[in-house]
Amino acid sequence: MIRLSNICKSYRLGEVLLPVLKDISLTIGAGEFVAIMGPSGSGKSTLLNIIGCLDSVESGSYHLNGIPIDGAGDEELALIRGDKIGFIFQLFNLIPRINAERNVELPLLYAGIARHERKRLALAALESVGLGDRALHSPMQLSGGQQQRVAIARALVNRPDIIIADEPTGSLDSLAGREIMEIFAKLHAEGKTIVIVTHEEDIAAFARRVIRLRDGRIERDDIRP
Amino acid sequence: MKKKLSPGFLLDIFFESLLALRDNRLRTILSILGITVGIAAVMTVGTVSKGGHFIIFSELETFGLKSVWVYRDQADKDPHRAVRAGTGIENADYAAIRAAGCPALRLLSPVVYGRRDKMLVRYGNKYGNGQINGVGADYLEINNDTLMYGRSFREEDISRNRQVAIIGTDVQRDLFGPLSNPVGRDIRIGERKFTVIGVLAAKSRDFLASIGSSGGQDANNRLLVPYTVFQQMTGFKDINFLQAEAISLPDADTAVSQIIRILKRHHSDRFTYKSGTMAQYIRTTENILKWVTFIGVVAASVSLFVGGMGIMNIMSTSVLERTREIGLRKALGASRKEILIQFLLEAILISFIGGILGLILGILAGYSLAFFSHIPLEPSWPMVLVSMAVSIGVGLLSGYYPAHHAAGLKPVEAFRFE
Repeated sequence: MIRLSNICKSYRLGEVLLPVLKDISLTIGAGEFVAIMGPSGSGKSTLLNIIGCLDSVESGSYHLNGIPIDGAGDEELALIRGDKIGFIFQLFNLIPRINAERNVELPLLYAGIARHERKRLALAALESVGLGDRALHSPMQLSGGQQQRVAIARALVNRPDIIIADEPTGSLDSLAGREIMEIFAKLHAEGKTIVIVTHEEDIAAFARRVIRLRDGRIERDDIRP
Repeated sequence: MKKKLSPGFLLDIFFESLLALRDNRLRTILSILGITVGIAAVMTVGTVSKGGHFIIFSELETFGLKSVWVYRDQADKDPHRAVRAGTGIENADYAAIRAAGCPALRLLSPVVYGRRDKMLVRYGNKYGNGQINGVGADYLEINNDTLMYGRSFREEDISRNRQVAIIGTDVQRDLFGPLSNPVGRDIRIGERKFTVIGVLAAKSRDFLASIGSSGGQDANNRLLVPYTVFQQMTGFKDINFLQAEAISLPDADTAVSQIIRILKRHHSDRFTYKSGTMAQYIRTTENILKWVTFIGVVAASVSLFVGGMGIMNIMSTSVLERTREIGLRKALGASRKEILIQFLLEAILISFIGGILGLILGILAGYSLAFFSHIPLEPSWPMVLVSMAVSIGVGLLSGYYPAHHAAGLKPVEAFRFE
């Protein structure tokens, strides 16, 4: 469970302190599928980074599954990011010099899992996104949709509870985007907590709950039945 | 909570490092080259220094490493007192030192050269010149002189005033031609007839020959006769200097002081004596060599330092270019420590490859120097270990700053657009 209370965050732009998040309080329960929307500059990516334990908060508190995130040390945060959260990025963020299988292995490498087990789990994860036959391809040899599916396999390989995705379809055509969203819907059906940032309504339509931000505040929080 | 490194983490990261270095081939090669040159320079300095040590020792060895010589200090001559003329060493002194059986002394020989004149030598109608020295039976052994033909002096040659001579190769060449064995032939030195009993093996004429026991003489131009005979020939009653061999190199100074003590007692302290030992020359040359090596190492270290700066430079660039990758790795669960290890490993890899290449280059340089200079240069093996350790150390030191910077990057970087 994600519990944010009175989160504030600002960025320094030269001399000026630019507030990005203003007093955000938000609870996301286990198994929810949430889309965060809002115009650019509304703070949606910053909010997602904080939820994903990639960024620190200025004030307020954040508990993930009851664990206080503010004040956690580097190794503790690394463990949480590696075990509890799977990340999916707009630009896929695959490492180009290693093949698809080794990219998927990375979270397992940092989780301290032995070599042969890593390989087995990575291949299984690629299988599950329909890319079992592309394991040895380098990212450059794959289409955008395939690269994003490799990234999803990488996000899933550690069996995290939470999937965090920042504009996961932003670099894909609508067909590939739809395929990706169907995978998300399936993951939601399996009980994963999913939080995505998007500015496309038809992508947000896959989610059960849509949180709209404006100027660093929650403008609307709609839960569909 | 503590993170534990995966089994095989280092191996996987090592594999990735290789790939990362391959991505920036030119850059990697250039920085490898920097280390290669530095390590090759260190190795060459080591080889040359070791070779120099070898040359100096083998050169000095041909004059007898444990050799010492004692002579009167001519500065004590007082023009107002006639009694102080002379060399301060008489035949009786020589006999007394021998009889005393000094424990640090192994061999002892008087050397009489009179007024250091060259003597005309004749065999049939052939003439030559030689530096004549009257010596004792131990002389050849003290000076590490070996014979090409014939034998050395025996005690009875000395005590019975036998008219026998040992000649240097220059004298042999002038009188007999270089290839004939003159042993048993009679030659004339001055007015006297001598039988040749031996020919000295040739000695190096290098600059080092100008120091040491031969006292600035050309070692191959010597004419050796029993000192007793030489004293008869010239009417010279004294001994110019005593030459001796200590039982070991560290005993050289003891041997000298034992000889001087006896001489002073015999002459009731009327003379002062000076001495020279090969050990002094060895110390001096070793000292010079040490400084030359030191300067060489400093010069080589500068090039290694520059190589290290090269690594720091490319690693910093690499960290900058891979900011997103580092953020991604952190998002996937990498800790600071794991990022640090990865980038340190890359830096060490560069300097280690550079080190190995430098080692090979340095060894090849040593062998080709040896080939062209005909000096037996050998790579100094401890230097191999040192330069390997140094190259890893350089990688660690120069990689630390960029790696530390990488480890400190925030994981949000992964989400930033390029």
